[in-house]
Amino acid sequence: MTSFTPTRRGFGALALGATAASLLPRLALAATPDDIKKRGRIQVGTLTDYPPFGGTDDKQNPAGYDVDVANLLAKAMGVELQLVPVTGPNRIPFLLTNKVDMLIATFGITEERSKQVLFSNPYSALTTYILAPKGTQIRNAEDLKGVRVGVARASTQDTAVSAIAPREARIMRFDDDATTTQSIISGQTQAIGASNTVLAQLTASYPNLQIEPKFTLRAQANGMAFRKQDEALRDWSNAFIKSITDNGELAAIHQRWFKAAMDPLPPMPQF
Amino acid sequence: MRSFGPNEVFYILAAVRWTLLLSIVAFAGGSLGGVVVALMRAGSIRALRWIAFAYIKIFQGTPLLMQLVLAFFIPGIFGLDVDPWAAAAIGLSLHASAFLGEIWRGAIEVVPRGQWEASGALGLRYWAQMRLVIAPQAIRIAIPPSVGFLVQLIKATSLASIIGFVELTRAAQVINNATFQPFTIFGLVGLTYFIICWPLSAYSRRMERRLAEASARA
Amino acid sequence: MNYTFEFAQVFAAWDELAYGALRTLWLSAASMAIGLVVAVLGALAKNNGPRALRIAIDAYIELIRNTPFLVQIFIVFFGLPAIGIRLEADQAALLAMVINVGAYGIEIIRAGIESIHHGQIEAGRALGLKPLQIFRLVVLKPAIQAIYPSLTSQFILLMLNSSVCSAIAAAELTAAANDIQARNFRSFEVYFVVTGIYFAMSLLFWGIFAVIERAFLRQPAVR
Repeated sequence: MTSFTPTRRGFGALALGATAASLLPRLALAATPDDIKKRGRIQVGTLTDYPPFGGTDDKQNPAGYDVDVANLLAKAMGVELQLVPVTGPNRIPFLLTNKVDMLIATFGITEERSKQVLFSNPYSALTTYILAPKGTQIRNAEDLKGVRVGVARASTQDTAVSAIAPREARIMRFDDDATTTQSIISGQTQAIGASNTVLAQLTASYPNLQIEPKFTLRAQANGMAFRKQDEALRDWSNAFIKSITDNGELAAIHQRWFKAAMDPLPPMPQF
Repeated sequence: MRSFGPNEVFYILAAVRWTLLLSIVAFAGGSLGGVVVALMRAGSIRALRWIAFAYIKIFQGTPLLMQLVLAFFIPGIFGLDVDPWAAAAIGLSLHASAFLGEIWRGAIEVVPRGQWEASGALGLRYWAQMRLVIAPQAIRIAIPPSVGFLVQLIKATSLASIIGFVELTRAAQVINNATFQPFTIFGLVGLTYFIICWPLSAYSRRMERRLAEASARA
Repeated sequence: MNYTFEFAQVFAAWDELAYGALRTLWLSAASMAIGLVVAVLGALAKNNGPRALRIAIDAYIELIRNTPFLVQIFIVFFGLPAIGIRLEADQAALLAMVINVGAYGIEIIRAGIESIHHGQIEAGRALGLKPLQIFRLVVLKPAIQAIYPSLTSQFILLMLNSSVCSAIAAAELTAAANDIQARNFRSFEVYFVVTGIYFAMSLLFWGIFAVIERAFLRQPAVR
């Protein structure tokens, strides 16, 4: 959203200016910390539709856990931060087609994904569950037989549900968590795969549905993501994550957004 | 957890300017391209006619969704930094060029052959014939369907949300993810599109009727 | 260029793409057929029906023509359950497409009906044609000839629009593409191939429409 904030120029000038400026070629070689410092600006992809990790504030500027981490990171590097809004399904394409230098986008570290991108050590964690109304009898993956299960396409819960659900389960893939959540609210799905943050929102907005976690899909460790060749930037970021973990800045961010003390970060998953 | 309040309504309505701006830029870009496509298609050079024909068929024969996605990813592959705004503007302009080109070719060809012959006999060359005789008549015929297409284009900008451009539809999705009020939100969005598009549709229809009556009298 | 193409991963999922393409073809063909019926009935009702019905049809046409298909399909899929009608994603997609093409179809058919001049019917009568012959030769055929180009391009647009149905988890080609790229992350390659498949399907429909036109709608050679 930051990248679309209009200036005070006239509409036409704005339109032409934006189009012309964005057509200028930019060398898309490996982004090392030195390159970025020389450029004076880092482009970080974050979610804006996944509060409280990546959402928007009252003034609709990007805000959340990831945004705070990105701000600290840019400050530590001594460069200007340019946030680029990404969505769950398009964040890897954004990274691979050089539209951002890195992702801080609540990106779960998985084996599949680490074939495509480089991950930092975990800097946040969340748990995903199968959620369903209280009356629905689901205790394990086997019980999903014949059940319509909604997931956000390309999310870690999509991968997890696809892996464990029996053949007879009917997995329905939607574009994002909001649409997935809408599907259980409207009764189009009987269960959904989603995280504890979605559960909290469902409980707050729709207490009458009595949605509860049925079983845990996975405890997810989120990492920052980089293009395969950007090992230097990854190493720099790992050192950065260690420093904000040690000095308590990361715990403060967690406290601000989740109103709870931060559990120790999970270890880096090994594949 | 945020609730759906005046701030949120304002955010969604403020995104209308991006829908409008994108529509205007795409319609302007599409008009430039459309003139070229129409002239190539209605012209006498065989190779150009075929190129324009293929161009129209490709853009009319593939989903706009895919055209936008490709407009977004192809430059990135070649190391060009194109943001969603530019990708959407370029993708929609190319799309509009094909549709407007076809509409305008039709309008040029509806002008009776005799007009070309008569103005040719008066010693006018191609460009003068086009400018003084053919275009004024063709434009009159072309206005209703062009405005009709503008309505399609305004609605089509909603697909730019898929490549991350924050216009009306994307703004609604962002708010929906924070407030979980899909009905209020998408109802508001539907209504907003309707308010923008309906006067244009009505205008296009009225012009069309007037034109039909005029030609019936003639 | 800082990008390696990997089309092999896309073609490895050819069975999913083929299934998606077949679903899209089915969804499009079914909604064209049902939509045509809706359009004809709607046009007749709008021309001859009682005033209240005419107003209702007008409202339907204006609502559909002036709002995006994405919003329409969301309301069908997520809204109807609120009044007790729960449709499967594929049924909801079909219904939304029929509702959409119906609104455009009514206007197109009405234009066709209006294109017939009364004088021609009388001329047919004067030539001694029977009422059924008049309807078939003087009314129906010229009317279809007049609207055929706009009707068929509306059908092609409908087929291309069906790509939006992936938003409600309906099974069709774009949903297949989204699922494949969610697994292998080769978005560009997947979308490039799928764009080609859509184009091939457009060519197929154009071809079918041209064959139908040649077989049934060509003007008799008498001039």
